[in-house]
Amino acid sequence: MKEKRTSRYLKDKDGYFSEEQIDRTKKRSREMEEASRTRLTSQKVRAKTLTYFDEIMKYDGARSQELSDFQGKGGKIIGTMCVMVPLELINASGAKNVRLCSGYYEPVHPANELLGDAGLCPMVKSTLGSKMVNANPITNNINMVVGPATCDGKMKLAEILEDWVPVVMMNIPRVKIGETSSDIWVKEIEYLSRKLEEVTGKRISKRALVNEIKKWNRGHELWSKMLDIRRSKRPTISGQDAMLVVQASQMDDIERWNKKTSQLISELQDMQKKGMIAGEDGAARILLAGSPMMYPNFKIPAIVEESGGTIVHDELCSGFRLMSDPVMLDGITRKGIMRGLAERYFFPCTCPCFSPNDERIRRIKESIEAFGIEGVVFHTLRGCHLSNIEATKIELELRDIGIPMVKLESEYDEGDIEQVRTRVEAFIEMIKARRENEGI
Amino acid sequence: MELMEMFKGRNIRPWRFLVQIGAVLFIIGQSYGLPPFGTYPIFRRIFLPNASCRYINDAPTSCYYYQVQDGFTTGFATNYVDVAIMLAVVVLLIILLGRFWCSWLCPFGLVQEGFEKLRELLGIPRYRLKWKQRILLRRVKYTIIFLTVLISIPIGISALGLTSCQSTFALPFCQVCPAKGFFLITQQIFGAEPWSNKLPLIAIASLVVFSVSAFFLPMAFCRICPMGGLMALFGRTSLPLLKKDPDKCTKCRICARVCPLDHDRVYEDMEKDDVGGEDCTLCGKCVEYCPEEGCLSINYGPFTLTSSKRPRTRNTFLGRFRKGGGDT
Repeated sequence: MKEKRTSRYLKDKDGYFSEEQIDRTKKRSREMEEASRTRLTSQKVRAKTLTYFDEIMKYDGARSQELSDFQGKGGKIIGTMCVMVPLELINASGAKNVRLCSGYYEPVHPANELLGDAGLCPMVKSTLGSKMVNANPITNNINMVVGPATCDGKMKLAEILEDWVPVVMMNIPRVKIGETSSDIWVKEIEYLSRKLEEVTGKRISKRALVNEIKKWNRGHELWSKMLDIRRSKRPTISGQDAMLVVQASQMDDIERWNKKTSQLISELQDMQKKGMIAGEDGAARILLAGSPMMYPNFKIPAIVEESGGTIVHDELCSGFRLMSDPVMLDGITRKGIMRGLAERYFFPCTCPCFSPNDERIRRIKESIEAFGIEGVVFHTLRGCHLSNIEATKIELELRDIGIPMVKLESEYDEGDIEQVRTRVEAFIEMIKARRENEGI
Repeated sequence: MELMEMFKGRNIRPWRFLVQIGAVLFIIGQSYGLPPFGTYPIFRRIFLPNASCRYINDAPTSCYYYQVQDGFTTGFATNYVDVAIMLAVVVLLIILLGRFWCSWLCPFGLVQEGFEKLRELLGIPRYRLKWKQRILLRRVKYTIIFLTVLISIPIGISALGLTSCQSTFALPFCQVCPAKGFFLITQQIFGAEPWSNKLPLIAIASLVVFSVSAFFLPMAFCRICPMGGLMALFGRTSLPLLKKDPDKCTKCRICARVCPLDHDRVYEDMEKDDVGGEDCTLCGKCVEYCPEEGCLSINYGPFTLTSSKRPRTRNTFLGRFRKGGGDT
């Protein structure tokens, strides 16, 4: 028998965390998710189909049961840590994908105890904590983790997680220069496909891959229809709900997600015909940018939408960017498909970990024009240095085109809610006052 | 039914295929036993800036490069007036249709796409040129033009005493051009040309080199085609243009990946809106694949002929692979 690798980060894994602490983490996580869900469901105008997505993202909901059943039948579940992991590949190998990035507040504490780094990104800590104390049932039983080495936090997180679960780390060329970076990344994708074949014991066939790409492209198409609804003068879906829907794609089977989303879209279009509007009439149109916000951590979008704004667009890797770029295949050779897949996940990605990242600013500016954005809320998690640094650049660029931006730094904690609310309210007030001034 | 589906959703490729077939029929149809399409004498005086080969029997017209070489060799006494007039007409044609001559009207281009399709059906990945190779090939076509002029003119001037070389060096490019070999051999296969008309060894060698390279490298000959070289010089002044709206570009690099000629300016350029250039043959593949609404477009002067659309899922056999879409 193969000798089990000793833990490098956590000695005496059993009993390191007391039963009481584990229970408390679970209980608080459940409470937090419930609170977030109530906040979502208590919105005045809300499509009925959205309850399906609530159910998918629910703590210990039907989806986690479904996943463990699937695993019981010998299926494999692959955890992903980033938008840059090609989910088509995972699905083509017969495995199911689950996004690991955690939005639960409570698991931050066990991770803090282990690492003692208060300045580290709370999302990384929360993800690690959930795994350490098995706090989140949907991510408990994963067979493998795919972790692209994007930012420092994610990179080391993947390394630490290796104590619990096999990890495939992928080397992301962080300087984007055409051909060379593309070649490296294609090789990484091929390496991932070999690893996936090892884990699932199934060869990834070309046909399966093309099939999965088709399904996901259908998802992209639906998401662009959703963007059309949000782009209109009277969006019938709030920013939080839209983010919930697109994040559910990372947890759900894509085929079912497509079906439900197209249902949702037709419902939203009906609502539009009836003249309904999500949020208040004449709300400030806000673009959300910056660090990711994973599901229960919908603190900032909720505050924005409660204080008289509507998030009509975002550029987060936990939102718009999950579904923004389809894979376009020009050939039917295996290598061609792999290259197409790899380039889709690498080149259009505007993660701040890349260095020439002018596309991000260009994209934000373009969406400001297309979506009629009046103000940008830039959110950084504490310790997300990359986002923080880029925020300065983006703020200056936006000042040139006369779009106000507010930068909010948040922690995985409810302590700063009131402070954030004050700033956001002032910001939205300012936008509305500006609108009136310009009206005169 | 399948054919009708192909034309939905603004696919450029099927239209281009039809135009290519039409061009081929017009230029080489009659030598393969089809009724003649263009036997009007006017066509016999106009020479095309693409690889429509002179060695196709009864062709209504042919590539101008044969005539240029011929004119350079024989035109010393007449001060090259004929060549000049012909070149002026060619330049006019280039300005009118730009590099539509290449990817829409060149019969040899269709042949190369056939090779590419064959490779794809066999599931063999394409060869990607290294940066240095690409730069090198770019220079080769100008070198060919230069050498052609360098050889053609002196051997026609009797004062230099090189006229005896004419039997060996006349039409220097046609002797090594793979199009000549290809069209001669296919004509022989179809019985339009007697088998006794043997190809010189050098033509066979270049045909073999061409076949292998066209199989692995899409549009291999287009990269060194001297006709393309002349057109590249007028790339900016001709009326058809490939345009890009940089604001809509997400830098997803699909255009650079699908381009058969590795023309990466479409991807790289974020300032100018005119992104065609010396390598671009206006095949419209990037426009077809670009997933951003209205980002890339093919223009004719001030008019937009076609522009990129967001991909829609399609059920067709071809669409399945082409756009990577398809309803599930």
